[in-house]
Amino acid sequence: MGGLDAVERGPLPSDASATSDSGSAAGESDHPSVAALRAKFGDAIQGDTVHAGDQTVVWIDPARSLEILTWLKDDPGQKYDMMSDVTGVDYGGGRPVEVVYQMFSTTHKRALRIRCKLPLDALEIDSVVGLWVGANWLEREVYDLFGVTFKGHPDLRRILMPQDYAEGHPLRKDFPLRGRFSRAEQTRRALAQDVERFYGPEELVEGGAPQQVAARSEPAEGEG
Amino acid sequence: MAERTIELNVSRNPEMGVDGLPKASPLAPIDIAEPDLGTEEMLINIGPQHPATHGVLRLICELDGETVVDVTPDIGFLHSSFEKLGEYRTWNQIVTLTDRMDYLAPLIYNCAYVMSVEKLMGIEVTERCKVVRVIIMEMDRIFGHLLWLGTTAIDVGAFTPFLYAFQQREKIYKLHESLTGARITTSATRVGGMMADLPEGWIDQLNDFLDHFPNTLGEIDRLLTGNQIHIGRTQGVGVIGADEAINYGLTGANLRAAGVDYDVRKDQPYYDYETYDFEVPIGEHGDCYDRYLCRMEEMRQSVRILRQAIDRLPGGPINVQDPNISLPSKTDCMSDMESMIHHFKLITDGIPAPEGDCYMAIEGSKGELGMYVVAEEGGTKPVRWRIRPPSFVNLSAIPKLARGHLVSDLIMINASLDIVLGEIDR
Amino acid sequence: MGLGDLLPGGGTQKSEGGLGMFGAGSPTFLTTKIDEVINWGRRNSLWPMPFGTACCAIEMMAAAASNFDLARFGMERMSFSPRQADVLICAGRVPYKLAPVLRRIWDQMPQPKWCVSMGACASSGGVFDVYSMVQGIDTIVPVDVYVPGCPPRPEGLIYGLMMIQEKIRQESLGRHFEHRAEDPALVAAPRADEEEIVGLTGPFGNSTHQEKLADGRIVRSPDPNDDVPV
Repeated sequence: MGGLDAVERGPLPSDASATSDSGSAAGESDHPSVAALRAKFGDAIQGDTVHAGDQTVVWIDPARSLEILTWLKDDPGQKYDMMSDVTGVDYGGGRPVEVVYQMFSTTHKRALRIRCKLPLDALEIDSVVGLWVGANWLEREVYDLFGVTFKGHPDLRRILMPQDYAEGHPLRKDFPLRGRFSRAEQTRRALAQDVERFYGPEELVEGGAPQQVAARSEPAEGEG
Repeated sequence: MAERTIELNVSRNPEMGVDGLPKASPLAPIDIAEPDLGTEEMLINIGPQHPATHGVLRLICELDGETVVDVTPDIGFLHSSFEKLGEYRTWNQIVTLTDRMDYLAPLIYNCAYVMSVEKLMGIEVTERCKVVRVIIMEMDRIFGHLLWLGTTAIDVGAFTPFLYAFQQREKIYKLHESLTGARITTSATRVGGMMADLPEGWIDQLNDFLDHFPNTLGEIDRLLTGNQIHIGRTQGVGVIGADEAINYGLTGANLRAAGVDYDVRKDQPYYDYETYDFEVPIGEHGDCYDRYLCRMEEMRQSVRILRQAIDRLPGGPINVQDPNISLPSKTDCMSDMESMIHHFKLITDGIPAPEGDCYMAIEGSKGELGMYVVAEEGGTKPVRWRIRPPSFVNLSAIPKLARGHLVSDLIMINASLDIVLGEIDR
Repeated sequence: MGLGDLLPGGGTQKSEGGLGMFGAGSPTFLTTKIDEVINWGRRNSLWPMPFGTACCAIEMMAAAASNFDLARFGMERMSFSPRQADVLICAGRVPYKLAPVLRRIWDQMPQPKWCVSMGACASSGGVFDVYSMVQGIDTIVPVDVYVPGCPPRPEGLIYGLMMIQEKIRQESLGRHFEHRAEDPALVAAPRADEEEIVGLTGPFGNSTHQEKLADGRIVRSPDPNDDVPV
């Protein structure tokens, strides 16, 4: 292969067989869970596609996400008992923020990706901590970095950024790479923080104050 | 083809040690009826700067006497915003970020990232590249486990294994160095291939390491596996059951020690792992000791895989022969107009990706390492680059594991999870 | 062999600024400057406080392990408690969340104390010119020696520590307060003033701060200082 045409044509997959079902040329999924989901939940399944060759992605209605995910975990034909990953994607430009669930079934040895589109003015979705305990920190991270509220989460606080971080949610596209404040202001705030302020004895009581801490740590400018 | 898994068989008879000799546990609990002193619960803060937390982890412990009532981990002290930074970098520039995330096994991260991007773009790497990547990933699995072994041994009071382990690590450092020029921050892979082919004599150097490493491993094994102090500190500590471990999302040796037969190399094979003859160690008690045994056995299995991979290493090119993906050689750039233009386009524009997303999971040294990339049509940078860090999820189980144990056991449990803060905080 | 052989400028020859000894072969007493003997003791028994966070911490461990053996230079004892340490080795990235911790550890160390900034990230933020990272720990604590590299090799760290030793050799007890002055009011305040921090951390023209628009134009991303909410 050579010639300048290649520059215009863009990269070609080396393996010809991968061309037909990779990337944007999304084909119909033959994943057994997709048909079952469509039969069971109908309209709540907003779409499905195959990405990256063999990875099935299903978009579901966020209002019914808990119901669908509960079924996916408990139904003997699905048994997605391992929640590998919960994360968010912000495409920017006012498009919805998406919450992505990556699941794996250790019984049937197959993976499934569920995505939920959340409009920017209603960034909330049901928590799945009741189903998979491992989702606890993953959801906290999505809350911290994207500002998505998980309803029913037992301990929804910031996890990576300081509790009183006032600049917003860093992985949103409207957040500048170097933060909103000047470096001097960031340094001053960092040194002024008292590392013992959070996680006092009263805040460690289960089901108590953590929610208040989360409420306190909401950014002042108000995320929309 | 060997059996898929091996059950770890170590005597748990309370009267007998591993070697079949009668054992007197030096750390047997003393049964004395203690008067109720009416103590209050106390809050103790461990970290973020503490040698036993293996990084800048902060653990807030609620203690009743010396017993851990609850422990709240506080993370984020090493949050370096890799994921945000990745959105500003082209596909190949991100490779340099990946090895700064897990600096204990950098080559696994390099490979995992480019595998994810290649899968998204539908690029099939060459046979030689596949085998080379298997070699460097297995080498770094040993590399990562050795650091875990050395530091964990320090936590139970044994300093010698640390020195032995670092002596072997130095050999892998040298292998890294002759392969990539750097000791830790390797950045060895590129989308569609490798930074460079293996240098001359590298395989001999690796063979030399493989000849000597099992002996050192055996020495460490003799120091720890039957050691009464080590057994007393680890057996029955930090127990988690199989179903619970899955529910917590544990992966890697932590999950396998609990008796779950899940290894990404076997269950979602990549790079022809299904054709290699190796076994996956499975524990049965789910405690710190089984996690230790699993990792020790994994290192031996990695040596097996490495030997097979060296035997089958094919010739041929290491990079994809597509001028839109792989950089042309420098000689061509200087003499050939076409190559120069390809070079220019690749460096200034980067590689355009199709629209879509891709989650690529591989078996890292800490557990299931997932790389999730999201791209827009023709995007030369990711819209979102997400790392599913195994230690992040593994660490979230520490309150469950540590409740009811002593503070000193908490240190052991934390060490046995094999965490690296660089990937937890990202 | 007398004691003088072991000392800098040793032997019976009296050297400039060194130690001298009277009566060759009978080491009954020696004369020296008090600075010399104190600095000699200080620089050969440094107790490092390893503040290791990321990749550099692994190289620091390698420097302390068998092959490189930091103990050869009198740094046998890694002091994990700041109260018993002389040299703070800040190895690795320091995010803003960790900044007060680093500052507190520095404040807890007794005088005299020195600081080594190991690696690109600790010295300048390195590639991490992002919202969460301190752009060089010299905005928080005073730094004596910067060791470049990403990460520096163990030899680099050892060389940096030897430069600390050289620095100690040149110190004078008479100017102790001048060297070691600390204003208690400045505890938990940035070491550098606002203008200096902005100067130290200003964006430089790498690709991170340039955006390619859909129409092909390349623009520089807005200065973050413009984004301060009013």
